[in-house]
Amino acid sequence: MSEVIGFLLLGIGSGALISGVGMGVVLSYRGAGVINLAVGAFAMLSGYFFWAIRSGEFASIGTVPAVVLTLLFSALLGVAFELLVVRPQRSATPLAKLIAALGVLLALQAAVILAFGQSAQPQPTILPAGNVIIAGVPVAWYNFIIAGILLVIAVVFMALYRWTRFGLGTRAAAENQAHAMFMGLSPNRLSLANTVLMTVMMGIVGLLSASITEVDSQTLPLLIVPGLAAAMFGRFTSFSVTFVAGVLMGMAESLLLYFSTESWFPTNQGGPIPGYDELLIFIVLVVAMFLRAGKIPARGDVLERRLPAAPVPRAPVRSALIYGAIAAAALYFLPGGFRGALITSLISAILLLSLVITTGFLGQVSVVQLALGGVAGFAVSHFATNFGIGFPWAPIMGVLLAAVFGLLCGIPALRVRGVSLAVVTLAAAVAIENFGFGNTTWGGGVTGSYVPPPSLFGFNFGPNASLHGLDGIEPSPLFGWFVLIVLVLLGLFVCNLRRSGLGQDMLAVRANERAAAAAGINVQYTKLLGFTLSAAVAGVGGALLAYNYGSITADSYDTITALALIAFAYISGITTVPGAIWGGLIFIGSITAYALQDWFGIQGEWFTLIGGLLLILTLVQRPEGVATAMFYGPRPSLRALRLTRRGGGPPGGSQIADRVGEAKVAS
Amino acid sequence: MTALLQASGITVSFGSVQALAGVDLDVRAGQLVGLIGPNGAGKTTFIDAITGFVPARGRVMFDGRDISAAPPHVRSRLGLARTWQTIELFDDLTVHENLAVAATRPTVGSSLGELVLGRRQRAEQHADDAVALLELAEFAGRMPSELPQGKRKLVGVARALAGRSKLILLDEPASGLNTAESLDLGQRLRRVADEGVAMLLVDHDMGLVLNICDEVYVIDFGHLLAHGPPGDVRRNPAVLAAYLGGPADAAQQLDGETAASSAERAGEAQ
Ligand SMILES: Nc1ncnc2c1ncn2[C@@H]1O[C@H](COP(=O)(O)OP(=O)(O)O)[C@@H](O)[C@H]1O
Ligand SMILES: [Mg+2]
Repeated sequence: MSEVIGFLLLGIGSGALISGVGMGVVLSYRGAGVINLAVGAFAMLSGYFFWAIRSGEFASIGTVPAVVLTLLFSALLGVAFELLVVRPQRSATPLAKLIAALGVLLALQAAVILAFGQSAQPQPTILPAGNVIIAGVPVAWYNFIIAGILLVIAVVFMALYRWTRFGLGTRAAAENQAHAMFMGLSPNRLSLANTVLMTVMMGIVGLLSASITEVDSQTLPLLIVPGLAAAMFGRFTSFSVTFVAGVLMGMAESLLLYFSTESWFPTNQGGPIPGYDELLIFIVLVVAMFLRAGKIPARGDVLERRLPAAPVPRAPVRSALIYGAIAAAALYFLPGGFRGALITSLISAILLLSLVITTGFLGQVSVVQLALGGVAGFAVSHFATNFGIGFPWAPIMGVLLAAVFGLLCGIPALRVRGVSLAVVTLAAAVAIENFGFGNTTWGGGVTGSYVPPPSLFGFNFGPNASLHGLDGIEPSPLFGWFVLIVLVLLGLFVCNLRRSGLGQDMLAVRANERAAAAAGINVQYTKLLGFTLSAAVAGVGGALLAYNYGSITADSYDTITALALIAFAYISGITTVPGAIWGGLIFIGSITAYALQDWFGIQGEWFTLIGGLLLILTLVQRPEGVATAMFYGPRPSLRALRLTRRGGGPPGGSQIADRVGEAKVAS
Repeated sequence: MTALLQASGITVSFGSVQALAGVDLDVRAGQLVGLIGPNGAGKTTFIDAITGFVPARGRVMFDGRDISAAPPHVRSRLGLARTWQTIELFDDLTVHENLAVAATRPTVGSSLGELVLGRRQRAEQHADDAVALLELAEFAGRMPSELPQGKRKLVGVARALAGRSKLILLDEPASGLNTAESLDLGQRLRRVADEGVAMLLVDHDMGLVLNICDEVYVIDFGHLLAHGPPGDVRRNPAVLAAYLGGPADAAQQLDGETAASSAERAGEAQ
């Protein structure tokens, strides 16, 4: 049992990397009010840069100059991030800032895959090798070095923020930008300095990580999830708490790894159950949220922009008939590859419709929707293969199951909202993907889980149905028409929702929870109902996706795709049905992506890259989304309207008190 | 006759600050009651306490029920509406939708009908009445943020009216309105009260409150200073001292206001 101590120490190094990412999150929040999902991706980019200039990919220079160049590169990265993303978004809501950071994450990931490929690269380490035997376990020295370096960084940041003019200015600006200006400090420069500090520190994290992991497009970017949990413990402001929380999380993960070899540890197919550490991080995050999230300080920025307007749909039935007829014809006449891509687009549109309900109407960002679709998808697969239950009962039960999970995911939304909710659902998505779908018993494992084609009374209308399109190639247009009918019905459903009393209640809750309660709306009930409805819609999408693939794995519903879904929803318009449908038509794997690949040989990764960049641009230029703007005409007053949101009136004492009250109710 | 609202011993503390210290206040059906006091006296906090937006000690009886522990939306559904000093409209809904939200609660049945068949089933008579009363018809299809401040205030009042409420607590509805608008609002409120809807009017505009209210309460530093018919309150020395600093010029000012407003009333009668 004394090995336990050794294993705890083994986790210090990776724990300190979590701390590093967590402190990057804290820096971004203090400096710019961003919950910065891209922090880990900056570390990844610096890691790749170092590898590229050391290994001969770009150059092969010595360690010391390479380190210096990498840190310089990180600083430049910070300047670019500040000028292109942070500054244009300064007056945006915290949620819009988070979405912009999401765009950066997706773009950086896609960029490194395009530049260096999918496979991990052996980044040369800069730390000395060698072990020390502690309690019978050989513990590598680098664990202590990494933890030591990040501890020093944490202490320096604490001192910097507590005692220097820069730190005091940043703190003043976080509370009230006008205060900082009175102090004679430019908020722009303060923000720039914070951002560059952050990217340089992430450069260091990227360099140090070489001892623990190879550099690839997933590991460091996804370190954001435990990093966010650590930062949440530190209320997004405390470097010391964040540092300690990160190290402890690394140690706990290492301990779990040790336990996973014990005989009592739950197993799956001979190995320890997959995804247990993602589950651990999720649980830690939920605990952190319940203990600390209510106390995260709000930032007093000068202006505030809200979610784009959700206009009432015009003549939805007519649009459904016209566009439905066009799509139905296209499904028959288009050649096979295009037909398949169109079917994927229609299914993506259904998944996007679920985001219209949660984000567009309820105003909450939930990353977990695709995973909820996966719940339905795997349910369809397992009902069929384990119990012989097929269409329509398997998808119906799957959708109900997704709705129940959606209800459960809605419960945190009663306590936290906005960025905190986005963070929790992100961790939930990662946990469901790895712990749920990675498990062969109730998920698909790595080999996948078979999904029999849908058929009713012996009549198969799956992708392999006997009726073929004009060119005689699968997938069958029958399946496409089936998907199209479902999409049309759900689209009309969401249009009706917008016009219904329930939908108005949702928008009232989205606009102002206090006033909604004063108008007699049960805010909690409305939110839970919204999350449940949205999960059911996502469940339909997930079940159709399962039928479309015929065999599903955890990757079919992975978190990065879920994040990309949110990005495309925003680009196209997250508040309207046309936004969802056009979003489906341009999403990854969509007919647009297929056409670009087929005609111009443009790879799918370009899509994510362009999607990420477009997202940042959309948030600044067309926050209501491109398709929404197109369909609901120019709304010239929109911008003016956002700026005057709170109305005029002198900021008297009791108005400030009212705001304090609002902040209290909001927490 | 028992009062519609009976608030007794309402006490609210924010940390060490006691914003309200044992305030008693009654409103009877159809009555228009004023609540005045200097800035920071605790008027908004009182409305928050009655409507359930701050934790408060004491007892709130409404329409024969003890609602002290009920959450805000339950109090609202019992017929207790309010407006906000900071207006707080639903910025994402049109003016008409703002009122419709308050006018009806969707039920499972009505929601199913609306979602599946796409029919609108909300009875919006009350929303329309409120629009008519406050002459907001031309703004019904607009977004709240496109309206000038004064109209936004009116939409807030209309939303409270649309909720079929028995009692409406109005937090400074006349602030931000000019004198003519404020007088006009006062007359409309008086008319609503005469139709049987009780109101508690919190305002800075002493002229407005003293002229249209049946009864007036005065608070300062969370304590009840005085209450009674406007005529008595106007002459109460404690009120004069607290509200306007010195008794002499305060009395003068109040008398001035009274003179001005009786002239207005006379004008109105002609
Ligand atoms: N949420 C709050 N937290 C702390 N103090 C508050 C809060 N709300 C009001 N107060 C304080 O309570 C007192 C009464 O405020 P308020 O009811 O807004 O006054 P009024 O509406 O009469 O101007 C003031 O001293 C105010 O600062
Ligand atoms: Mg007030």
